[in-house]
Amino acid sequence: MARMKFLCDADRCIDCNACVTACKNENEVPWGINRRRVVTINDGKPGERSVSMACMHCTDAPCAAVCPVECIYPTEDGVVLHSKDLCIGCGYCFYACPFGAPQYPKVGNFGSRGKMDKCTYCAGGGGQEEAGSAAEFEKYGSNRFGEGKLPLCAEMCSTKSLLAGDGEIIAQIYKERVLKRGYGSGAWGWLTAYHETISV
Amino acid sequence: MTVSRYFHAVLFAASLALAICSAPALAQKLGPDGAPNPTASSVQEQQLLNELSRIEGRIDIPDRKAAVLIQPAGRMWDYFHEVLLHWGAAIVILGTLLLLGVAYIALGRLPIKEGRSGLKLARFKAIERFSHWLTATSFVLLGLTGLNITFGKILLLPVVGPEAFTAVSEVSKYIHNFVSFAFVVGLVLIAVIFVKDNFFQRVDIEWVKQGGGFIASKHAPAGRFNLGEKLVFWLSLGAGLAISVSGFLLLFPFSVTDIFGMQIAQVVHSAVAVLFIALILGHIYIGTLGMEGAFEAMGTGEVDLNWAKEHHDRWAEEQIAKGNGPKSPLATPAE
Amino acid sequence: MLVKKSDHAHSLGTFAADLSSLPSGEMGRRTFLKRAGVAAGALSAVGTLPLGVRRAEGGPPPAPGATVETRKNVCTHCSVGCSVIAKVSSGVWIGQEPVYDSPINRGSHCCKGAAVRDDVLSQRRLRYPVKLVDGKWVRLSWDQAVEEIGDKLLAIREKSGPDSVYWLGSAKFTNEAAYLNRKLAAFWGTNNSDHQARICHSTTVTGVANTWGYGAMTNSYNDIRNSKTILVMGGNPAEAHPVSLQHILEGKELNRANMIVVDPRMTRTAAHATEYVRVRPGTHIATIYGMLWHIFQNGWEDKEFLSQRVYGVDDVRKEVAKWTPSEVERVTGLPEAQVRHVAETFAMQKPSTLIWAMGQTQFSTGTANVRASCLLLLATGNVGYAGAGANIFRGHTNVQGATDLGLDVTTLPLYYGLAEEAWRHWCRVWEVDYEWMKSRFPSKTLMEAPGIPSTRWFDATLLPKDQVSQPDTLQAMFVMGHGVNTITRMPEAVRGIEKLELLVVCDPYPTAWSVLSERKDGTYLLPACTSFEMDGSRTASNRSLQWGEKIVNPVFESQNDYDTMYRFAVKFGFADLMFKNIKVENGKVSAEDILREINRGGWSTGYCGQSPERLKAHMRNQAKFDLVTMRAPIDDPEVGGDYYGLPWPCWGTPELKHPGTPILYNTNLAVKDGGGTFRARFGVERVVKRKATVNGQEVETEDHDNLLAEGSYSAGSEIQDGYPEFTLGVLKKLGWDKDLTPDELAVIQRVNPAKPDTVSWSTDLSGGIQRVAIAHGCSPYGNGKARMIAWNLPDPIPVHREPIYTPRPDLVSSYPTLPDARQFRVPNVGFSVQKAAVDNGISKQFPLILSSGRLVEYEGGGEETRSNKWLAELKQEMYVEINVADAGERGIKDGSWVWVFGPESQSKARMKALVTERVGKGLAWMPYHFAGWYEGDDRRSHYPKGADPFVLGESVNTLTTYGYDPATGMQEPKATLCQIQVA
Repeated sequence: MARMKFLCDADRCIDCNACVTACKNENEVPWGINRRRVVTINDGKPGERSVSMACMHCTDAPCAAVCPVECIYPTEDGVVLHSKDLCIGCGYCFYACPFGAPQYPKVGNFGSRGKMDKCTYCAGGGGQEEAGSAAEFEKYGSNRFGEGKLPLCAEMCSTKSLLAGDGEIIAQIYKERVLKRGYGSGAWGWLTAYHETISV
Repeated sequence: MTVSRYFHAVLFAASLALAICSAPALAQKLGPDGAPNPTASSVQEQQLLNELSRIEGRIDIPDRKAAVLIQPAGRMWDYFHEVLLHWGAAIVILGTLLLLGVAYIALGRLPIKEGRSGLKLARFKAIERFSHWLTATSFVLLGLTGLNITFGKILLLPVVGPEAFTAVSEVSKYIHNFVSFAFVVGLVLIAVIFVKDNFFQRVDIEWVKQGGGFIASKHAPAGRFNLGEKLVFWLSLGAGLAISVSGFLLLFPFSVTDIFGMQIAQVVHSAVAVLFIALILGHIYIGTLGMEGAFEAMGTGEVDLNWAKEHHDRWAEEQIAKGNGPKSPLATPAE
Repeated sequence: MLVKKSDHAHSLGTFAADLSSLPSGEMGRRTFLKRAGVAAGALSAVGTLPLGVRRAEGGPPPAPGATVETRKNVCTHCSVGCSVIAKVSSGVWIGQEPVYDSPINRGSHCCKGAAVRDDVLSQRRLRYPVKLVDGKWVRLSWDQAVEEIGDKLLAIREKSGPDSVYWLGSAKFTNEAAYLNRKLAAFWGTNNSDHQARICHSTTVTGVANTWGYGAMTNSYNDIRNSKTILVMGGNPAEAHPVSLQHILEGKELNRANMIVVDPRMTRTAAHATEYVRVRPGTHIATIYGMLWHIFQNGWEDKEFLSQRVYGVDDVRKEVAKWTPSEVERVTGLPEAQVRHVAETFAMQKPSTLIWAMGQTQFSTGTANVRASCLLLLATGNVGYAGAGANIFRGHTNVQGATDLGLDVTTLPLYYGLAEEAWRHWCRVWEVDYEWMKSRFPSKTLMEAPGIPSTRWFDATLLPKDQVSQPDTLQAMFVMGHGVNTITRMPEAVRGIEKLELLVVCDPYPTAWSVLSERKDGTYLLPACTSFEMDGSRTASNRSLQWGEKIVNPVFESQNDYDTMYRFAVKFGFADLMFKNIKVENGKVSAEDILREINRGGWSTGYCGQSPERLKAHMRNQAKFDLVTMRAPIDDPEVGGDYYGLPWPCWGTPELKHPGTPILYNTNLAVKDGGGTFRARFGVERVVKRKATVNGQEVETEDHDNLLAEGSYSAGSEIQDGYPEFTLGVLKKLGWDKDLTPDELAVIQRVNPAKPDTVSWSTDLSGGIQRVAIAHGCSPYGNGKARMIAWNLPDPIPVHREPIYTPRPDLVSSYPTLPDARQFRVPNVGFSVQKAAVDNGISKQFPLILSSGRLVEYEGGGEETRSNKWLAELKQEMYVEINVADAGERGIKDGSWVWVFGPESQSKARMKALVTERVGKGLAWMPYHFAGWYEGDDRRSHYPKGADPFVLGESVNTLTTYGYDPATGMQEPKATLCQIQVA
């Protein structure tokens, strides 16, 4: 079984935010919810690198471990999904997530923070809704994965910096790139997310 | 425990002690002509993680916390929450219960040695009892709902199933969030009302020397509150303060602090809560099962004169001297 | 409570309803939307949505059982030309898919391309025509609007002449709409017809065309994959053309290429460079000459190339000799070692390409700047090869096409110019009588005189009548898809808007035109549809044409540009003439027919071979084109041998099946395969009087310098040397006229019955002359030398001149701007302004250089992108970048409010400070996409209800100043001065 991962090649990322709006467009994510974002390290200095980040769909996902209602779980493909029907909006997953992925529609706690929302790898939701249905879309967004497609953020990446797909394949692509060009600032987040890194 | 888990535990401890800032060192590489070579100078993930406990940068959306790119401490917090806290809480709480059970078996219920006199001494006024019970009730609700969020998925979820458990948890979360205010109000009242009687006094030393009343042959002297009660007061106040401050940080996430602060707040909140529960379990034990005549103090507000003389002799003498002594049992029947 | 993340436009209430909840970002939706007044706006929009107006709808998945169609169009937000696949169900655009087949973008987009669906679906679009009545927006019908506007325009034409109406077109037009807009201005009787190219690459077009024939990108984005050295000077493609970085970075990786970025800012592009050189804005020529100094000094120039294909290098050597390393350092601040290293790399590690955008063009020396770039390319022999060339990145979908099709005050479509010959050519194509056309103009002189550039429209409105060289000042602006806030000197523009008699804005959004002034009447807003709601072709920066299919019908009451212009043509009474050969059914104009008309007249630039059928075949067969060469396999039945998008020049008739020209002036290929030579545009020889010493005596000689190539020719050429452009006369001399068919000869005879021999490759409507020349392996336009000396320009050889508002007044005496003069019907008093600034010590009061540029999230004036909910969220505030040291001196903190003051009109602007090392000390930088605030005043309430963009902010051009390129009227927003203080 393929293990789906994301890999952002920071030496290609130009902070163009295509991944961000592709995600918004595909999943109709509302204002204030940022399933994916681009952060620039050392902004304005030679050596600056930008990295696109969303849920990395971690191995031993810490969000799933800390969830008090166990609404987060990995699928067979390694995609970490959650059920908005079970989520109680406690916010624990955000504290555990190394990548700032979980998002909440509300900030305070008078009432609730709302149901957690995060990148689904464009694989629909982790609830009971029928795959590809309007009900699933309303809650979680698109189910491209079910149609055999990869997340739109990676598909639309302007420089092919953001890679999605089977972890071994994208690791291989990255490795070949680094060998060919002679530099690479690392598979950002991989050690934290997958307990492994790509050695070249 | 796997090696990596152990590693995380060590890192977690280290990170608690570390103040975190994000100014990655810049190793700028220059070309042969002295102009910077941005490609060769690029920051390396591994280097940043070695230098700092998290990677942070610039982002233009207003959500400041989105500027944190990677914070491996999340995994450590996971380790704290799922391993240290579960085991720690279980050991502390179950241990306390076990200890109290042993105490009960060994000591039994401490009786009023002289037997009941039938004379009542007013011990707690209505407002004092209200403050106590407000705090106590909130505490129990907060404790149970808090335990639910920590242990519910282990204990309750398998029993009631996910949908029901979510419903319960959702309600408990609301209870926990809103009752917190009542708890804080009660805590403040208790602090204001009882602080004057809880300062340590010379008599407290004597009380300790006399075995705190647990040794039947000795008489431990005390004022309105004995040292044990004073300790409960001060510990509760301290724990209450810690748990309230950390709790409000959690209630208004990221309004004051960043992700690291939130994690620390949660750690403090849960760790203090566990100890607090243990303390209060002891408190409840003494006030109910452990000692005859104790519960009435908070129950009706009046205690038997003999109980008072036995446990709070100085206070009982003061009250009698002030003319607040017991009335005739005929005039005011005890029950 | 289950929170829907769906934000469908079809549930209009959702977006508004979401407002009641608090966002996850501290200052996210709540604060932002509250400030932006979205709550009120969105709700009132729902409330006031009139019956019968179709609502914009969107959001997957399709209804059960509904079919999903895919339609292909082209992203409108820059010139890269990324294909967009739209999923459409029940007439609603429900999603986008990556277009892996496109050789240009291979599925990729930037944030704008990935968000174009909301350009169409945006709730902030103008829904129906409105006009200002006593300061309030009042709805009216299209018929009523056309009637009222038409009457007013005709009255102005009657009273003040046709030149008092300005037709400001758009770089976001399709080719067909751009052409139609120019044709409309011609039929109206004026040359006051311009568009965004004026303020982005007018100087490139003039400078580059005057060097080697055509003023466009010589190679392509894809071709950068072949480069060994990539020099970016005056461009930030990572933000302005993000998908181009795919080609640049892959090229950089595969070839281990040098990527050198010379820029005042450490940009996102510079972050990926192998060398970053920080330079002072406005010193491009000095930098280039500094490089050339080393190149000539060390003999790194390409001597064979220079002798065979370049004219005038000796004069350039003389000019360059003045730019010693110490003088270069004095002017630019660049140390000798850096200049030398960049020069050596560029000259020796070939092929080298030079990439630029507005960092070269937007200066009062813009034309000279790009000419200097051309000199560097020529001296190092880097033109006309794969991996080399001037890769000039243009800004909008179709700014290349709109430029080509003559939305320009100096020419009719396709660079024919304005001379009588040009008018006669187009009258033949249009099948209208030249005399009738002449009668539309006040005089033949005005008919052949360049119009007023868009940068000066307000001067032509505000100046006294006698200062404007036409019958009257401007009275009316008819604006179709052009912001006002991208033009410098906005305080003057505000006064200009107030003085106009009539202002018509035809745009999907109200734009800043509608809110800047306190006008109470005489303003009309017409809802145009976006390019996604219409058919038509667009020319990308690499000269490839792509056909875009209409994705959905125009939403609300919006209407496409063709139909709008047709309506006005009907109102003006010349629709039958203007649309003589263009099919119009029920008011719906056929885009295909317009392109066919362009094909019939577009010989000069090779717009003749790209028929709608061929372009559509390319869109169907995108996958067949090679990523690097962009060529389809020779044996393909539909597009065999073609280059993607038939990049112009695509010679001859469509039937000739010329494959297009992916690299201009490439002598390694036969002309029929897309090769070419430098265009023999400037004659065959130049007579120059020179002083020489003969026998110790100084005598004046008259030299006849050969302007034709020497020993260089394209593959397969039967003439193995230079040759002039082809006419029937030239064909006869060569004996090739016999190859013309009788039909072709008959057409040539009809073109000029009196002197058929003068009929040339560019005026022959049969295409026969082109066909025959190509059959003999020759370029129809001749085989000339590129000119290092452009003797018709104000500075024949580029001369460094300080910006009008320079931070270095000490250099003005050595490098002053050109003397005051009259250009384009108005005075250009740059010299006086520069002198006054120096005399008054302006650079002391305003010690920071102010430059401006582009953000990745927004485009142009930004109304459209700031109304796109996915883009607007990403950049919510206008800001100024200021260096850490400058901020420290002023007590400015990152994220705090500041006032920025400009040196003219006591201008000021309030915005956030971004304290950063992106800019060096002494430089402030701002994005230019913001509008809606003016000098601290939030003008949101002035927009028509519900049509205000999500994000508003101060415009940088409130602060920018005087300064115009004498050759083109280009403005100077890249280098002025300012002062900043805490607000």
